[in-house]
This record gives sequence, structure tokens and C-alpha cells, in this order.
Amino acid sequence: MASAFKTYGTLIGFVLVVVFFWIEIPDTFMTAKNWLNISQQVSMLAVVAFTMTIVMVMGDFDLSVGSMASLAGIVAALAFRDGHGVWVGVALALIVGLAGGLLNGALVAYVGILPFVATLGTLTVYSGLAFLVSGGKTIFGRDIPTTFSGFARSGIPLAETISLPSLTIVAALVLMVVWFVLEQTTFGRRLYAIGGNKEAARLAGIRVRRLRFLAFGLSGLGAATAGLMYASRVASANPTQGSGLMLDAIAAVFLGMTMSEEGEPHVAATLVGVLILGVLGNGLTQMSIDSYVREVLIGSIIVLAVATSSIGKARG
Amino acid sequence: MTASLRTRLPTAALFLSAVLAAGAAAAAGKIAVITPYLAQPGTQFYVEAFQEAAKDKAWDVNVIDTKGDVAAVISRLEDAATQKVDAVVINVDPAQVEAGLAAVKDAGIPVVGMDAGASPYLVTNVTSNGYAMAADTAAYVANRIGGKGNVVMFVFDAFPPVQVRGVIADAVFGNNPDIKVLDRVTPDVSDGGIADSRAKMEAILAANPDKGSISAVWAAWDQPALGALQAIEAAGRQDEGIVVTGIDANPQAREAIAAGGNFEASMAQDFHGIGKAAAEAVAQTLSGKPPKSSVVYVPTKLITADNVGD
Repeated sequence: MASAFKTYGTLIGFVLVVVFFWIEIPDTFMTAKNWLNISQQVSMLAVVAFTMTIVMVMGDFDLSVGSMASLAGIVAALAFRDGHGVWVGVALALIVGLAGGLLNGALVAYVGILPFVATLGTLTVYSGLAFLVSGGKTIFGRDIPTTFSGFARSGIPLAETISLPSLTIVAALVLMVVWFVLEQTTFGRRLYAIGGNKEAARLAGIRVRRLRFLAFGLSGLGAATAGLMYASRVASANPTQGSGLMLDAIAAVFLGMTMSEEGEPHVAATLVGVLILGVLGNGLTQMSIDSYVREVLIGSIIVLAVATSSIGKARG
Repeated sequence: MTASLRTRLPTAALFLSAVLAAGAAAAAGKIAVITPYLAQPGTQFYVEAFQEAAKDKAWDVNVIDTKGDVAAVISRLEDAATQKVDAVVINVDPAQVEAGLAAVKDAGIPVVGMDAGASPYLVTNVTSNGYAMAADTAAYVANRIGGKGNVVMFVFDAFPPVQVRGVIADAVFGNNPDIKVLDRVTPDVSDGGIADSRAKMEAILAANPDKGSISAVWAAWDQPALGALQAIEAAGRQDEGIVVTGIDANPQAREAIAAGGNFEASMAQDFHGIGKAAAEAVAQTLSGKPPKSSVVYVPTKLITADNVGD
């Protein structure tokens, strides 16, 4: 029983948060429409957090995801402005994301720079590039094709007034792919082995450098996907618009890690972390709670969840 | 022990938020004010004035600052629609948050723009009259130089609210046959606009070295005016009587105007008035008589050395 609490403390916390809002906002919180809203609101953060989980499995970080998301949005918008089709813009943005991620991977795996330092450097580089190529301006209006901005507003109709948002579907697909890669392939098992002990993994014949290189590539690709989703949702691209994603994504993975006996990140647990952040944002807004109080609460809950989990582990 | 601790702490957090929620009692009207720009001084003035006005009307106002995150504005608009507030006030470009505005509209909730930009989703947008601001400063320049002389214009046609200012100044100067527009400069604004404007003005001063060859600099906003002022002073030509004007009356511009140099005039937007007028527009809408026009203008004021200290 006690060990169940140890593992599921964060999950229980999440359920309590949901029940609390259900009681406080009885009419509108626990409705299909609101939950579909929440799923759409967290979809961009979710994609970044899911792919961030891949590098955090190895005990690494990718701090550049926020600026990569901004850069990807700008790249796509500039392609649209120059008259290229939606798919060209999307493909270019994803290529930039993958290339930027692999550059992070090369710096970490082959040059041997600490991930924190390497991705802090590329965070600044990608952000600078986003400003450079856009001239610091927001690209919006007629430059953004309606098929692109319409994607974020589209969905599969479920009932008269509700539909499953396209952005939610994208996030769900990314979740399935990342879950499969991490939990069902040797690639994923090897990443966990690297996270457990890099030296032992290397001695066991795992090509640590190559795997770290590739994992960062996936993180960059995820960041670019989220950047495109963001640009579609706001029907514009701005060189700073993704910057809030990075810290929230890391927070979501940390929240998820508290649910693991070994303190390992798992993508399903990351989903719970993402939902905690999203539900708090949604519920507290509906309760008309001051936005700065919301920030304090979210931060406190992250610290509390991680602290209680480490207290549990230290005593255990 | 650890197990109970682990569940008790999140519960404590929830209890805290319950206490906070109890403070937000039901009121005459629930208004959500949503902006990504609360850190900007102008926005703070609007919001404070709006809250003041709301207090008299016994509204329950929830100010939501998404701290620069425009997508989060859409999320919070969706939440406001779910929550069924009575009205929403936004301070963000409506074109960027249309997905959220559509959700609010579907819920039958009116949205008022507070210096937000025009949009069919808004009942009305409360803002300053860009046309009038440009007319005031351009007329000031024309009158100060006696309707005669060479004028340098700093404009920015890529940004619609600033573009209209340039058009009006063109009309005022064009109506004075003896005023010649020497150059219509679009500065590079990526550094804030002062440094590049200064460089451009230095080049123009160098190309027109004679005293009296430049009578005035009309700028569509304060930064280029400040850059031009720096160039004039650096070239040692501050005693030629070159008249410089800006728009916005930011603190740096007010300082320059108060110093009594070439920078003579700028326009002050009434941020407080915009917040108050936005509250009025919400009140009218809630009472079933929304403002007729899609834009409500709040008067602006010409700032010169005479009234800069007020």
C-alpha cells in the first residue's frame, strides 16, 4: 500500500486537482468540451515534453527546444511569404528542427560538451537566427495561408458542438510514436541503459555517442513540430513565441519522473505532468484566480511533488 | 508516514487555492481581461483604469497576463468561453487570437478591444486616433516653420497603426506649397529605432550642410525623433532652429521636450482614458446598447515645453 502511494503520489495529486475543480466548477469543468479544450491547449507543450523525455531518459537536457520552436515557426512563415506551399514550409521547418537537434547531439556526443552548456549555447544561436531571418518582425495576416492557420482550428466532429481538435491528434500521434520508441524498441532500452550508467552502457557494447546524437535529433524534430503547431494556432510567427515551452516541458518531465520507482522519465508519466500543468491553467482561469497566483501555485505544486517524491526515496 | 505526507502536501496546495477562490465572490458581472503585455507600462495604465472603473460597477474582474505568450491568450479565451463570463476585454492583435475569439463568440460572449486593433470579432476597439495625432504634430511643424522650408519625415509604412500617421502628415505638408519633404525615411527598427534613425539623420545633415537647409524633422513616433535630435546635436547644429516632433510622448521624449532643445512636441495618448472608456464600452454592451462604431477614439494631447511638466 505504502509503495503504491510512493509511485502514484503525483497521480493521486493530479486526481485530487481534477476532483477539486470538478467540485468548485461543477457546470463546466468536467465536460467533454472542456477536456477537449484542455487537450488542445496543452498539445504544443505535450509534443515538446514527449520528445524532451527522450533526451531526459539519458539524463540529458535540451534547453534549446523553445527557441527551436520559434525558429521553426519563422522558417515556415517565411517560406509561405515567399509563395511556397504549405507542405514546403512545413517540411523546411521540420528539416531545420532535425538539423538543429542533430547539431545539439553532435556537440554533446562527439565534441563532449555538457548538454546544459551545449544547448544553452544553441538556445541563443537559434533564437538569434529566428530574429535574424525574420528581421525581428511578427509574420502574420495574408502571409500565412488559411490552410495552415485553419489546421489548428479544425478537428474531427464528435457531436453537435464538439470536435476532436487536430492539434490534439498530432500530440496523440507523437505520444504513441515516442512511447513505442522508448518502451518497445532496443533503441529505447539502450537509451534507458545510458541513463542508468553511461560507462556501463558503453562497456556493454552500446554505441552511446551515436544514440545520444540521434536522441537530440528527435528532440529538435519535436520542438519544430510544436513550433509549427503554435504558428498555426496563432496564425502568425514571431521570433520569441516558443520561448515559454522549454521550462514547462522540463517541469512536466520532472513531474512525471516522480511517478517512477527508479526516478526515470517515462512518456506516459510525462503526459500526466503535462496534464497537471494544463488542468491548473484551465481550472484556475475558470475560477477567476489572479494569473500571478496561478504561476505561484503551479511552481509550488512542481516543487511539492518533486520534494515529496525525493523525501520518499531518501527514507526508502 | 511517507505515503501520508505525499498525499497531504498536494491536498494542502488544493486547500490554499480553495481559500483563494472563496475571495472571488459572485458579482454584478464577470469580466475577463486578457493580455500578453501586462509588463508594458501602457497596458498597466489601461488595466488599472479599467479595474478602477469596474470597482464602481461592482464587476468581478479577472486580469489574465500570459506573459508574452499569444497562444496562451487563445487558451484563456477558450476558458473564458467555457466559464461563461459576461464579457471579455483583450489587449492583443485580434488577428493572432482568432481561434479563441471564435470560441468566445460561439458562447455568445461580447469582446471589447482595449487598443487591440480592428476585428469583426470585436464589439468595438477603444484606442487613440492615429490620424488625429499625426495631424496635430504635422500642423505644429507647419505652423512653427511658417509654412515654408525643408522637412525630413521618419515613417514606418509596414506597421498599419504607424502607416496612417505618415499618410496624414503627407497631406498636411502637401497642403503647404512652400514646404518641401526633403526625405521620407523608414528607419531600421530592430534596435529600437533610435540608433538607425540617428545614422540616417547624420547622413541627411551631411548632405544638407547649409544653415536653414533643414527646417524640421517630423517623426511618426518618438524613437526616430530622439535619434534625429542626437544627430543634430552631435553635428553641432542645434542652434539652427530645426524643429523636431515625435508621437507617443514616452519618458525619454518628455525629458527632451522639457530640456527645451530642438525636440519641441509629441503626442500623449491617454492610457488611463482608454481603460476607462473600455469599461464604459463593456457597460454599454452589457446593458444591451453596444457602441455603434467599431472603433472608439480616446482624445490625445499635444505635449510641448509648456505642459510637459503637468
